[in-house]
Amino acid sequence: MRYGMVIDLKRCFGCYGCQVSCKAEHATPPGVFFARVVKRESGTYPNVRKVFLPLLCMHCETPPCEAVCPTGATSKRPDGIVDVDREVCVGCRYCMQACPYEARYFHAKTRYYFGAQGPTEYEAVGYAKHPTGVVMKCNFCAHRLERGEEPSCVLTCPTHARTFGDLDDPQSEVSRLIKERGGEPLHPELGTGPSVYYLPA
Amino acid sequence: MGAPKTTGQGATSGQAAHEDRWIPSACTICYGGCSILAHRVNGTIVKIEGNPASPVGKGRICAKGLAGIMILYDPNRVNTPLRRTNPKKGIGVDPGWKPISWEEALEEITVRMEKIRAEDPRQLMIQVTTTLAPSSLLFFTFGWAFGTPNMWVAGGGIHCGNGAHAVGGIMHASWSLVPDFEHCNYALYFGASKGHGAGHAATPNMELAADARARGMRMVVVDPMCNFAAAKASEWVPIRVGTDAALALAMVNVLLNELGIYDAEYLRRHTNGPYLVRPDGRHARDAASGKPLVWDATAVAPKPYDDKSVGEAALLGEFQVNGERCRPAFALLKEHVEQFTPEWQERLSSVPAAQARRLAREFGEAARVGSTIVLDGVRLPYRPAAAIYFRGAQGHKNSSHICFAVDLLNQIVGAADVVGGALGFNPVCHGHPDTGRPRYVPRAERDGLMTPGTWMLPHLPYPPAEPRHPDSMGFIETYPLSHVSPLMASADQTKWWERFELPYRPKMMINYGANSVMSVGNKDTVAETLARFDFIVSFDLFLNEFSDFADIILPDGSYLEVLDPRPNFPFIFNHPAGRGQWGWPIRQPVVPLTHERRSAREVLLGLGYRMGLGPELNMALNVFYGLDGPQMLDPKRAYTFEEITDRELQHKFGPERGLDWFKEHGVITWPKKVEEVYWRPFVDVRVPIYWEFMLDLGDKIRAVTEPRGMRFDRAYYSPVPEWIACPSHEVEDPAYDLYAFYYRDVLHTNGFTMENPWLDEASRMDPYSYTIALNTKTARARGIKDGEAIWVESAAGRRVEGKVRLTEGIHPEGVGIAACAGHWTRHQPIAQGKGVFFNELLEVDFEHTSPVNLNLDLCAKVRVGR
Repeated sequence: MRYGMVIDLKRCFGCYGCQVSCKAEHATPPGVFFARVVKRESGTYPNVRKVFLPLLCMHCETPPCEAVCPTGATSKRPDGIVDVDREVCVGCRYCMQACPYEARYFHAKTRYYFGAQGPTEYEAVGYAKHPTGVVMKCNFCAHRLERGEEPSCVLTCPTHARTFGDLDDPQSEVSRLIKERGGEPLHPELGTGPSVYYLPA
Repeated sequence: MGAPKTTGQGATSGQAAHEDRWIPSACTICYGGCSILAHRVNGTIVKIEGNPASPVGKGRICAKGLAGIMILYDPNRVNTPLRRTNPKKGIGVDPGWKPISWEEALEEITVRMEKIRAEDPRQLMIQVTTTLAPSSLLFFTFGWAFGTPNMWVAGGGIHCGNGAHAVGGIMHASWSLVPDFEHCNYALYFGASKGHGAGHAATPNMELAADARARGMRMVVVDPMCNFAAAKASEWVPIRVGTDAALALAMVNVLLNELGIYDAEYLRRHTNGPYLVRPDGRHARDAASGKPLVWDATAVAPKPYDDKSVGEAALLGEFQVNGERCRPAFALLKEHVEQFTPEWQERLSSVPAAQARRLAREFGEAARVGSTIVLDGVRLPYRPAAAIYFRGAQGHKNSSHICFAVDLLNQIVGAADVVGGALGFNPVCHGHPDTGRPRYVPRAERDGLMTPGTWMLPHLPYPPAEPRHPDSMGFIETYPLSHVSPLMASADQTKWWERFELPYRPKMMINYGANSVMSVGNKDTVAETLARFDFIVSFDLFLNEFSDFADIILPDGSYLEVLDPRPNFPFIFNHPAGRGQWGWPIRQPVVPLTHERRSAREVLLGLGYRMGLGPELNMALNVFYGLDGPQMLDPKRAYTFEEITDRELQHKFGPERGLDWFKEHGVITWPKKVEEVYWRPFVDVRVPIYWEFMLDLGDKIRAVTEPRGMRFDRAYYSPVPEWIACPSHEVEDPAYDLYAFYYRDVLHTNGFTMENPWLDEASRMDPYSYTIALNTKTARARGIKDGEAIWVESAAGRRVEGKVRLTEGIHPEGVGIAACAGHWTRHQPIAQGKGVFFNELLEVDFEHTSPVNLNLDLCAKVRVGR
């Protein structure tokens, strides 16, 4: 069992649904995005290409973050998920320097979306899960997987651009899509072995 | 993957929880009204997801919908009724709000409304936001009961819909058009983004459009900017702002006169193409019945169009009828468009002639005229090509002709409401199998032309009502093809009221969630009209720029706190089109109202009963909700909104499916039939490819308006589409050399969403959301660098400022600004100062308004600088 995700750039039109769904699911504080969308363009008028790139932790096979973590807080689970044990993390942020995908965030201090107006009722509940002084990141919604549910970003995507499943199973939807559509990870030359694959636009 | 949602008890996060429920409801952050499930744990909403049981989203929801939690819990929401203490009203002038009790507020409002009703109920104006459509129409129902014709949706409608919806109604019996995503092979978009942003059936269309493109549907997007739809398109066709009609007309010409591609059978039998036209442009008519005549080529004689003995009605040729040389309307159209060559359109639109020719050929060939397909055992016409238009294309002075020209592409190849073609949103519904409700079907009206089976407002687009001397502030009854009018807030409204001797003036306004200071046009024009009101009551979630002119603010419930029996009905408005399931969801409170907030719908009802309007209100509600039989409201009783909701639901779906059933299930679904979805072959109606009705309509409007000095230009009333330039195209001062326009951003709806911190956060990360888009080469020629602060100034001297974003993805003459941003109110601290207030560049007056459908012209000729 090796969890992985496939993102179809032909379907994605940059609605930010994944970004906000993740934020709503995890109650991540301001500036922290377990999932986010980056937009770029290429070409010259009128032959313009726009790229919408949803990003998240790549759950690498050889995670550079794990290699540098001094406390063992970051580890790769048998199912492939790279997770952070926030009880163990001391917030040295060495992992953030090591991660080439900018997928990690340091929760320095509690900040609320309405600033000095204080936490909303939603944040009062949600931020209880987020200790300060530690690093946080996507864990493929492990708590949802336990309940037999898909990651939140996958669930919400209105264009079905995201698929989740077992990369070790050649019959799984993710394996099939990678094979049939030519899925590639981002920056494979870095050699970290991402578990997130992108289908071409 | 995916376990069923628990609706019972459950523990979360290792804490003992006494409650964990998922409650089905409907979003309202845009008027898509997509179905949602709201997760409430111990009284707090912790997540919103789509509702997989509903066809309106099928379990998915966009970023805006997901962010609804941050509207509900925004600490800046209004909590109590407020009364101004400062009598002076002006932009940025502090009203000096003081909290008052509900009783005090309702008493003052009732007294004032009773007085107005006794003097002249037309002095009451009602203003409603489109975000809450269609449920906001309840406020219009109140207006009808009260006796005022003065109602509108502020910026909505006069910006986006007067043209599109009227033409959608006339040609497709529906509010809007969408390609049949399931089968279309070639979709041509003019200034539209269906499936790539907000709007009617927002989330369902996103899935449908993505599936279509994955299947290989070619999507060609004509747009001054490479936005969401163009970014995913097979081909982006950049076009000079406001010139879509030129390209569409040239394509019609190429199809008819260069390629000879048209669906003769469809035109002959399902349009007024064969109706004979006399030299004066009017139909030749049967002396006895008044019906338009066609030329029966078999019998070599003229006959009424619906005469069963007609062999083959001629589409071409000249015929002598009653001593006059008459021609079929199709022949007239075909000849008329010869002047619109691809070379001619290139000069106007900047789209190369060769490209225009190629697009026409591709569209015509993709339509496969004459072909059929079998679906669910039924043989149906198959035309897998569709041309659609929406806000961008229709937002110009020649609005009606623009939409007409684009839709002619569909009509010519027979791709209207058939498999693969351009579909109206659900023009036909046969009703739930158990009750046969709701049921509506278009039918033939005057001259055999189609009228819709249901509409959003009482006056139908066809046949147009008789133009009358103005009775309303907006002159809607004088311009019957309009729905809402800019004269409600225009710079020249008092001039026209005086010229037409309007015997009253607006004194009081009830506003439901709209922000007309920002949504209509430049703020000073609107502010001046607002300052004339004696009293303005505003139902709001937040104080905003409009609040500076209100006298009483009433704190409304957000969509997560209120009830609504019909977030997706009428189905022509925001129910997904095409095959699949019908769904009738409800909106229900997920959390109780807190503070002093009350549901505006209940307050409105209460006000009505309080002032003795009960009988009229109940009768109007019966009409609005279509209640008859045992669910009909008794004029002599008072009802709560819950009771009315219960009755509406029972009326439609049976006594065992009232509010309690819907609160538990959230939605009722039943399968669509192909005869409903692809209904044209089954309903004997025709559509006009020649708008003969415009001649009489124009004459009658002219008779009312011209003697009083309101300019009448016959060209706009031509029964065949004409090219007419926008005011911006005719600015002569060469200093103003660019065209500014705005567009819908995927993260925003109206001026509402910039206060939402999750959406604001994404907007600040987005390159375009809060910036002014300018072509890279255009900018470099002026020494403008990416990210600099620039100003944009209209030829009328109005200015906006913002950060520039250089992009290759915009026409060299375009200046593209997203949404309705640039808030300046301190009462929305997240929204304040974010984005750019495009509407400041717009003039609001009759000169910048379509004289046919009263849509505002939305493009401005500008210059930019640092």
